[in-house]
Amino acid sequence: MKALTYFLSISHLLPALATAQAERNVDFFHDVVPILKQHCYECHGGSKSKGGFSINTLDKILEDDSAVPGDADQSYFIELLEDPDPDYRMPYDGNPPVPPEEIEILKRWVNQGMPWDPSFSFAEPRYEPPLHPRHPELPRALGTRDHPIDRIVDAYLANKEIPLPEPLNDEAFLRRVSLDITGLLPSPQETRQFLADRSPHKRDRLIDNLLSRNVEYTEHWLTFWNDLLRNDYAGTGFITGGRKQISGWLYDSLKHNAPFDRMVRELIAPPSKESSGFIDGIEWRGTVSVAQSLPVQFSQNVSQSFLGINMKCASCHDSFVDRWTLAEAYGLAAIYSEDPLELYRCDKPTGDQAVAAWPFPEIGQIDPEAPKEQRLQQLAELFVHPDNGRVTRTIVNRLWAQLMGRGIVHPLDAMETEPWNANLLDWLAVDFQKNGYNIKRTLKLIASSQAYQSQSSASSQSDSNAKYTYHGPLPKRLTAEQFVDAVWKFTDSAPIGFDAPVYRSDRADDQDSRFSVTSSWIWLSDPPEPNQEIWARREFNISKPVAFAGIVTAAGDAFAVYLNGQLIQQGSGANDLQAGSLGPKLLAGKNEIRIRAANFGRNRSEAALFCALWLDYEDGKSQLILSDENWQVAPHPPQLEGHANRSPKALPWRNAQPVAHEKWEKIANRRVNSLLAIQYAGSDRPPRASLLKTDSLMRSLGRPNRDQIVTSRPNELTTLEAVDLSTSQQLIDYLQRGADKVIQNPDTQNTAQIIDEIYLGLLTRYPTRQERRLLKDALGRRPTPAAVTDLLWAITATPEFFIIR
Amino acid sequence: MSFSIDPHAPEPIVRRDFLKKLALASSAAWMAGAPQIVRGSGFKHPAAKADACILLWMAGGMAAPETFDPKRYAPYSQGMPVDTVLSTFPSIDTAVDNIKISSGLKRIASIMDRGTLIRSAVQPDLGSILHSRHQYHWHTGYVPPQTVACPHLGSWIARVLGPRNDIMPPFINIGQRLEGIGEQEELKAFTTAGFFGSEYGPMNLPFPEQAAQSVRPPEGMTGARFANRNRLFRQLVDKNPNREYASDYQQESLLRSMDNAYRLLSSKEREAFDIEREPQEVRDAYDTGRFGRGCLLARRLVENGARFVEVTTEYVPFLHWDTHAAGHSTTDRMHKEIDRPIAQLILDLEERGLLDRTLVIVASEFSRDAIMEGKPGSNANDQAAHKGDFITEEKHYGLHRHFTGGSSVALFGGGVKKGYLYGKTADERPLVAIENPVSVTDLHATIMTAMGISPKTEFSVEGRPFYVTEDGKGTPVTDIFA
Repeated sequence: MKALTYFLSISHLLPALATAQAERNVDFFHDVVPILKQHCYECHGGSKSKGGFSINTLDKILEDDSAVPGDADQSYFIELLEDPDPDYRMPYDGNPPVPPEEIEILKRWVNQGMPWDPSFSFAEPRYEPPLHPRHPELPRALGTRDHPIDRIVDAYLANKEIPLPEPLNDEAFLRRVSLDITGLLPSPQETRQFLADRSPHKRDRLIDNLLSRNVEYTEHWLTFWNDLLRNDYAGTGFITGGRKQISGWLYDSLKHNAPFDRMVRELIAPPSKESSGFIDGIEWRGTVSVAQSLPVQFSQNVSQSFLGINMKCASCHDSFVDRWTLAEAYGLAAIYSEDPLELYRCDKPTGDQAVAAWPFPEIGQIDPEAPKEQRLQQLAELFVHPDNGRVTRTIVNRLWAQLMGRGIVHPLDAMETEPWNANLLDWLAVDFQKNGYNIKRTLKLIASSQAYQSQSSASSQSDSNAKYTYHGPLPKRLTAEQFVDAVWKFTDSAPIGFDAPVYRSDRADDQDSRFSVTSSWIWLSDPPEPNQEIWARREFNISKPVAFAGIVTAAGDAFAVYLNGQLIQQGSGANDLQAGSLGPKLLAGKNEIRIRAANFGRNRSEAALFCALWLDYEDGKSQLILSDENWQVAPHPPQLEGHANRSPKALPWRNAQPVAHEKWEKIANRRVNSLLAIQYAGSDRPPRASLLKTDSLMRSLGRPNRDQIVTSRPNELTTLEAVDLSTSQQLIDYLQRGADKVIQNPDTQNTAQIIDEIYLGLLTRYPTRQERRLLKDALGRRPTPAAVTDLLWAITATPEFFIIR
Repeated sequence: MSFSIDPHAPEPIVRRDFLKKLALASSAAWMAGAPQIVRGSGFKHPAAKADACILLWMAGGMAAPETFDPKRYAPYSQGMPVDTVLSTFPSIDTAVDNIKISSGLKRIASIMDRGTLIRSAVQPDLGSILHSRHQYHWHTGYVPPQTVACPHLGSWIARVLGPRNDIMPPFINIGQRLEGIGEQEELKAFTTAGFFGSEYGPMNLPFPEQAAQSVRPPEGMTGARFANRNRLFRQLVDKNPNREYASDYQQESLLRSMDNAYRLLSSKEREAFDIEREPQEVRDAYDTGRFGRGCLLARRLVENGARFVEVTTEYVPFLHWDTHAAGHSTTDRMHKEIDRPIAQLILDLEERGLLDRTLVIVASEFSRDAIMEGKPGSNANDQAAHKGDFITEEKHYGLHRHFTGGSSVALFGGGVKKGYLYGKTADERPLVAIENPVSVTDLHATIMTAMGISPKTEFSVEGRPFYVTEDGKGTPVTDIFA
């Protein structure tokens, strides 16, 4: 952009450069559209076509031979722009003529063949969503199908002469609704019970039951909300303190099914720091484009998340693709901005000051003179104003898409797109508002409809550009979190700890003070050797039943923790405290914790290791094992370089050297006890993927880096993911554990029972006779762990496992 | 060939026809044919010669005056004024008369006649120097933060050109760990296909010597068991009572991906990932460490049809090229790490007749200087570990500040001129580019042009046109093309 300005300003002085400019290619969006928009649009764009001439599309321009692509000299419209007689020159009516340098650009554009982006048109969008809520009449019910959603959808299908989709069988319904509400597969036991239940109300009861499992519900929907609100436990911005989590607030809001209007209020006008991370965006170190300053991020984020409108284009220039303007984007930004805010167009100041405002003044407006806090409150109230139909439509559309596979409006963040059924959207939105913005209620409403309880219709990609017609729910791919949770649950292989700073149960309320660990750091030597890796270990005995075993570790610049030879924790430094709960992993009798730690960072003259193991016994007694001089340490032998997980058998163990340092003390004293309390609260159930920082598997399965708001997940499986799934040692380790579990289960004593258990646990159904025969042959009379592992792998790779039908 | 199997994926605007053609062409024909030009709107494009690209990434800020652009040599002496230091290595002759580079890069010197050296690459001053921000900019063409997740250079190439051999992942990233190191989140932010979706994302191989494991059945699984497992999978799919949903594109894409994976894992190409298959003397010729082994792996992958391969010296804060202290001795070590493998890679590609169609790029996020942080007039914080006017200890001898005013990029093969020098930096401080400055945007345009991709290639994301070079403004440095 700078280069362009430079050229334009000096080109008339330097003929040589002018030639260079002539050779430059014209960019349709950035060069041509603004000129047409400024000088021609008023009379010849949108619904106007004065003199029968429209610039809406290239075809329109080329009608009547107004232009000859490739030949500016023969193009009539250029001639009109350059006519010396003001009475003939365009634009008419005393409007200023098009500046010569802009005519030059248009000439070059014509000479270059008039490239026109086929997706672009000046024509007005056909559809403008209503601002106010609409109260559509419900059509008459078709027979007994009197659920409000079905009355609308059935009428739609009848009108389009589309047959009703087939009803969903119990197995598929159980799997779909469990994954949609709790994110988890039903256990074999739950599946057996549900299939055996003959009650006509069992589906409604199941929906209620699933919605009442507050923790499971929360930990599934956390993924949706984290994506929508750009919240995560690690990511860009945290490194410089430029970003804050809202995890605790969000978790509690979901757990208590907080009304959505309250959530919106607390996000936009945060009553405390707990929910301020959303509007405070990501503050980057160094110089940042104005379009990514915190006020403009605010404008973009509140618009996208709650209004489903895209202010990203408009925060740089009046949008080419929808109706939002630079002034509107900055109006929202000015609500957030502490200081007067100048409008920047494409990173250049315009000299205009932004006035705090939101784009729908029909409902009310922000007082630009009010202080920031009040402006935010005013905006929050406008978002949840009873006359505001846009915010409620946006959220119910998102909920519908989560359950039904596609929004009533699609894409979800382009709410100015026409819905395939406006009555359905409006009815859901009004119902949501009328009933206290109750998210679970709307989820239940959708899940209890026959529309939801129908077979999904096969989708084909080829019609993605055509106008969409609803035929039934669309299949969805398991999210990264659902896939990982499913494998962890079936194989009992969830990790010991989690990263989200949330209290999963109420049992740790007021328990923080119970943990009283103080700083205690050790290393091989003090000061340490630079670029050195060390081992540390501690043996201990468990002689009576343990109720809770919490562990917090941090060390060096990277570390890995092993319990009885099994990797349980990994971290990236002495301030990367890793917490977990060991639970059943402890053995009766002798146990060993072994830690490998490296010192290679910037301050190689400092290194230390911290580990606290807190044991609550069932008899009420507690014990603390803390890294101190009773630990043994040894240098890592250099010949094992690169073999990260291989622990040498014999090492020159010696007693650890205590390391005293103010920095280390602060790290440990500040956070260890609250981490223990969090793990304690979470220790009665295994961690869920949504509570963990992302990893390479989840990333490759489509969990986004939450630097931006990303509201939809991928629907396909890529080759690289398939390669990962085919080669992953970790996945095989999980599945082997699952195989052992099935084989050792006293309830699955023969091959047929093993096959049933696996099908019920992973596919939520019994195998067919054909499948049973195939697998009996494959597994043999006495299935080996390897054979069962391979079967588990093969099933988790099938479309039936991956796709929620 | 599977393009845009996600209906939510951005649609290409200008090149839809090309993709259609490409999808129809069999991969064999595609491989045999000359690289094709993808035109943006009316762009005049020099004939593209490259159909593969290897980026040798000098992560952490490789000092140009210590490598490809040596200045006046100031040997260490105790108490020397720090502002007398421009280069801490003497310069040596290369195979090209008018090009001298730093001692320590003897073998690279001998192959400088195979490529073009740009000495005038410049980067914006982002106020505060954060390596990962500049790396993000270099790798995506866009200065972070951005309102959408920007695709990596390799993802653009993978997205537009597709795989060169459809068994081979088109974008392979060697040598960079993304877990357990500093700034890992910042690295992940650009080591991604962004809005293109993970189909076009990198296959990450942080340890070249373990690359073979990424395309091999899990440890302890015999070939027979692996094949059996796959047979069982196919049988389950065939016997599946829900098979009637086969028209479902999701199901089809899933099966195709599993199929592709199995084909790769049981293919001959899989051996390309195993550097142990090279004769000992070849391995020795490359093996200066992980980077050297990565170069050997890159050569094997490109020989077997990889499209874009990045090999990095690895970015870990304060390690490798990220010299904030002990610059001279660290650079000496880095010379040893890169000199042999880079030269060997170029010679091997040449010997195999692949150099002309493979663009090899040696680049870094910025240069370094002994006293200047950022560029003249910058407010960036001075990040040298030791701040003093005199060098009192040998460990303070070196270029410890980040410098964005002039750095070097070496290009080999892929249709660039041989033995050509482009651009110039000042001989006295500030060592800024004084001739033909090349921005990141224009460098991208140059790379894309060499690969047959118009710098104006655009995709529509969230209704917004998004270009392969920033806002479609990149202008290739056509001077460097043969």
